[in-house]
Amino acid sequence: MDAESKGEPGLDALILRIEEIVRRLDSDSLGLDEALALFEEGVGHLARAREILDRTELRIEELIGPEGEAVEELRPPGAADRGDGEDA
Amino acid sequence: MSERDAPGGDNLDMFRDREAPAPRVWTVTQVNRAVRLLLEQTLPQLWMTGEVANFSRHRSGHCYFTLKDSAAQLRCVMFRRDARALPTDPEEGMTLRVFGGLTLYEARGGYQFVVRRLEAEQAEGMWKLAFDRLRRKLDAEGLTDPARKRPLPEFPRTVGVVTSLGSAALRDIIAVTARRAPWLRMLVRGTAVQGRGSGEEIAAAIATVARRGVDLVIVARGGGSIEDLWGFNEEAVARAVAECAVPVVSGVGHETDVTICDLVADLRAATPSAAAEAAAPDRKALVRRLEGLGLRLGRTLAGQARARRWRLDAGASRLSEAVRRRVRREAGRLAAAAAAMEALSPLSTLARGYAVPLDGEGRLLRTTEDFALARRFRLRVVDGSVPCNVAGEPVQQPGTAQIGR
Repeated sequence: MDAESKGEPGLDALILRIEEIVRRLDSDSLGLDEALALFEEGVGHLARAREILDRTELRIEELIGPEGEAVEELRPPGAADRGDGEDA
Repeated sequence: MSERDAPGGDNLDMFRDREAPAPRVWTVTQVNRAVRLLLEQTLPQLWMTGEVANFSRHRSGHCYFTLKDSAAQLRCVMFRRDARALPTDPEEGMTLRVFGGLTLYEARGGYQFVVRRLEAEQAEGMWKLAFDRLRRKLDAEGLTDPARKRPLPEFPRTVGVVTSLGSAALRDIIAVTARRAPWLRMLVRGTAVQGRGSGEEIAAAIATVARRGVDLVIVARGGGSIEDLWGFNEEAVARAVAECAVPVVSGVGHETDVTICDLVADLRAATPSAAAEAAAPDRKALVRRLEGLGLRLGRTLAGQARARRWRLDAGASRLSEAVRRRVRREAGRLAAAAAAMEALSPLSTLARGYAVPLDGEGRLLRTTEDFALARRFRLRVVDGSVPCNVAGEPVQQPGTAQIGR
């Protein structure tokens, strides 16, 4: 995955890390500082993952040019925004 | 038309010059031309049926064959511009229906049928034949082998879409993706999805989006006749799908239409909407998964606290009263924090003001003794940290209430 190296960690990386943190906290051999730091990190990742899920604007781009070398925002008619109101 | 009135055209001279001592002598060319014109001008274009034999496609693109029944046979030719529309060559002995007209090939003096359209006796017969042939070839190469199919990425970030711009298929894909996974980025490459040459264009479009670092590609088109969908049955598309570096989901036609593209794709979806459903993770399921993880995170921390407290209690009798008070306080504080975390969603807890005091080296400050007067430290909160210093003497309190047991 290309974007991974350039930008923020993706959902996959966040969720994998949280699952790893939960496993380590379960392992019962951690110091207090370490446990709290891991917990804090996990909570941060959860917040970031939730932020990603809360994005509502699907980015649609069209590849143009003979080789698809250029990108142009595509706003097709009828692409209505359908938020599901999951936050309740 | 009487003989006397006949105009002076070359062809009719023999009738007028009846009295001439010697009959007029025609050249072979003249005869063949006369017969050709007779054939072409007398017989209308017509449909003819028969069994095909010796079908051959010349390098020039023209096709030659014989059509016959039990009693007769006739040479046929199909010139390149018409033969191009054939999805494949007919099989020896197939019963065909051809449309065209008669002519004479002057150079050889043979008469032949010039075929403009060629169909198998059963509807869609030629298309089906072409489909079966290509399918057998791809099967033999293993391109349709289920073992070759790659799983779709669980968390794609960028989805490539190959379809016709402005089509209902694209609208459906966008609507489904916007509902299920609005955080995704979609890269669309428009292409013809119908008509001659669309196969090549679809194949090129697949290669184009794949080069742009997408995580998977959706190839889609709405329903249509087998002829309409033909581009997706062309070998070029099969090759492009097989060579695509990322998984391909095919959503072509309706439930009942199966194309070569479907067979080679990593996943065949019945419709464009179904293809988008397969490609986009479901937001609701992910939200539930995150909530579950949040709860587990809180519980594991509470578990840490309980284990720690149990160990501390067990060893506490061997310690001095002062030290025992300290470890109790520490365990109690941790248990309280963990229990609070467990009771609430960690996210809302964080938003409510969960904070951790840290010294300059990032170590946790835990007890009142860590907070000497005027000491500088940082408070780590949900979105950053706040520089602080201790304004007054810390006040010790008896052990915190115990919630986690």
